[in-house]
Amino acid sequence: MMDTFNQLLAGFATAGTPINLLWAFAGCALGTAIGVLPGLGPAVTVAMLLPITGQVEPTASMIFFAGIYYGAMYGGSTTSILLNTPGETGTMVTALEGFKMAKSGRAGAALASAAIGSFVAGTIATILVTLFAPMLAEFAVKLGPPEYFCLMLLAFTTVSAVLGQSTLRGLTALFFGLALGLIGIDQITAQVRYTGGILEFMDGIEVVLVAVGLFAVAEALYNALYEGRSEASMNKMNKAHMTRSEWRRSWPAWLRGTAIGFPFGTIPAGGTEIPTFLSYATERKLAAPEHKAEFGTTGAIEGVAGPEAANNAAVTGTLVPLLTLGIPTSVTAAILLSALQNYGINAGPQLFQTSSALVWALIASLYIGNVMLLVLNLPMVGLWVKLLKIPRPQLYAGILIFATVGVYGMRQSAFDLFLMYGLGLLGVVMRRYDFPTAPVIVGLILGPMAEAQMRNALSIGEGSFMVFLQRPMSATLLAVVLVVLVLPRLLARLKGSAAS
Amino acid sequence: MNPSPQANAAAPDHRPGQLAMGIGALIVAAVLAYGAAAIPSDAGYAGVGPDFLPWVVSAALAICGVMLIWEVRTGGYRHMEEPSGAARGDWRALAWVSAGVLLNAALITTIGFILSCALCFALAVRGLRASEGKPIGNLRQTVKDAVTGIVIAAPVYWLFTKLLAVNLPGITASGWI
Repeated sequence: MMDTFNQLLAGFATAGTPINLLWAFAGCALGTAIGVLPGLGPAVTVAMLLPITGQVEPTASMIFFAGIYYGAMYGGSTTSILLNTPGETGTMVTALEGFKMAKSGRAGAALASAAIGSFVAGTIATILVTLFAPMLAEFAVKLGPPEYFCLMLLAFTTVSAVLGQSTLRGLTALFFGLALGLIGIDQITAQVRYTGGILEFMDGIEVVLVAVGLFAVAEALYNALYEGRSEASMNKMNKAHMTRSEWRRSWPAWLRGTAIGFPFGTIPAGGTEIPTFLSYATERKLAAPEHKAEFGTTGAIEGVAGPEAANNAAVTGTLVPLLTLGIPTSVTAAILLSALQNYGINAGPQLFQTSSALVWALIASLYIGNVMLLVLNLPMVGLWVKLLKIPRPQLYAGILIFATVGVYGMRQSAFDLFLMYGLGLLGVVMRRYDFPTAPVIVGLILGPMAEAQMRNALSIGEGSFMVFLQRPMSATLLAVVLVVLVLPRLLARLKGSAAS
Repeated sequence: MNPSPQANAAAPDHRPGQLAMGIGALIVAAVLAYGAAAIPSDAGYAGVGPDFLPWVVSAALAICGVMLIWEVRTGGYRHMEEPSGAARGDWRALAWVSAGVLLNAALITTIGFILSCALCFALAVRGLRASEGKPIGNLRQTVKDAVTGIVIAAPVYWLFTKLLAVNLPGITASGWI
């Protein structure tokens, strides 16, 4: 414990240097901005900025990227409350009550509860990361290829079967992502696969390219094609302020939201959607009788406080599997992983030993970043709201410029820009027919890693698949995979009762 | 999100598109299988070689494709969320935005990042404006859009080439335009 504390202090020393503070601030501000803006998420933004890994040193850029990641969650709630179009998927539930609160003139209270709740949850979750991540890393060192493969299998299952509406469409998206991951040179035998003689395919398909195409370009194309006539009305802002009774109603919801959100972030069950829905359902059930009527009518503050805390806790929680196991459980985490790979840093249990300075500076910067974001989002919320005034055509056309920088800057190939357009079209039809896109990204980045682990595991088992069942840990994990396939049916019911 | 009966009547039939997605999955599966057949299966100690996962993914996608098509044949996709936005696509708007992105891809190495992106911006803005049902812009507006594009693209270009040493194409070797 003392050891952890000392390392954290050292982390603060690194993160507290003026240059790193500046990176943290830039990340938080940029994160808030893209969270507020519809059409740009943290994943795409980090993806587009990946070329900076060529120039900026690892600690600074990870602090910067992490700031973008959780800053987006703060900013997303602002859009959900004022515009009713969630800026982020994790802030979808916030729109349910937050928008209604704003409509009945309580926008300020909703914004305050969201920002302070995010701060409380983010800080508690960071403390939990500080305490548990090193312990988990120590344990994870003992895991072998069979266990890793099963963990990745679990991540695949949860991201494709649990998120989204349909398991079938989720799995289709996942296998498409795995197919994209097959292109290039096989890690183990150096066998060339699926390049069709095209030189650009030799290095494989970059996750940046797929993320930017599938999210940013698809968003612009979808908007031109279908969303032109959708009118969005904006709620009136007022001063971000909570009354005494609103404080009293908010804080238990923040704590419950954190308790629900953090575990969901840490297990490879990915995503912020489920914990926010769960938190919303809980708050609705636990609300005092005199406030129950506010749910779905004038807007209940608990319905903003809980989910907002849950999504921030979950986002921070996803750093645990990323840093200790090298397994990303969300799209943004997947892209953070590829940022680490750009530096030749292998995320995994050894990270706490080999790059301990980086990890602890990153964790320390989370504490600092949360404070910055509280300031950025409470007194300065009016500034961000101005971003919502950018006209839609200019906004999406501008996004295309940034998409070009990210994709072309990666390896200076115009071929990639054509590919980006193709993936953009794919993103449009996937959205139109309700296929989730996150499994494509997770499949693409985890696929090659999972394949290598599987083949190494089979080598240990001398070619027998029994190796996965003979080891207690991996057998347990396989059982969990089965449970996860059953659980969503249960959750769907919960979700249904929350929506009605 | 229950659409009223009238809205339902006006809602487009998504099934042809859904069917196309299913067929698309089958085509990808077939391509994967065709490619997998050409990959050697040297397994070494592992028992499975580099062609193992390709076959698994191909088979899985084929199953997904068949099941998607089965869902379409039996009434359409299950648990479908009605997609956001208009029932009918605005293809003219899409064409403008597509032209922007594709011309950018085709011209970026010849006319440089800034001009190419400004062109992309101007074309995309036209398309997006058209999708809102507004006039897409006369000559004056177009010039204004192009200038806006340059004003966005140029600082980005300088930031990335000068500060971050990321290679982006220019017309001159100076790194300024």
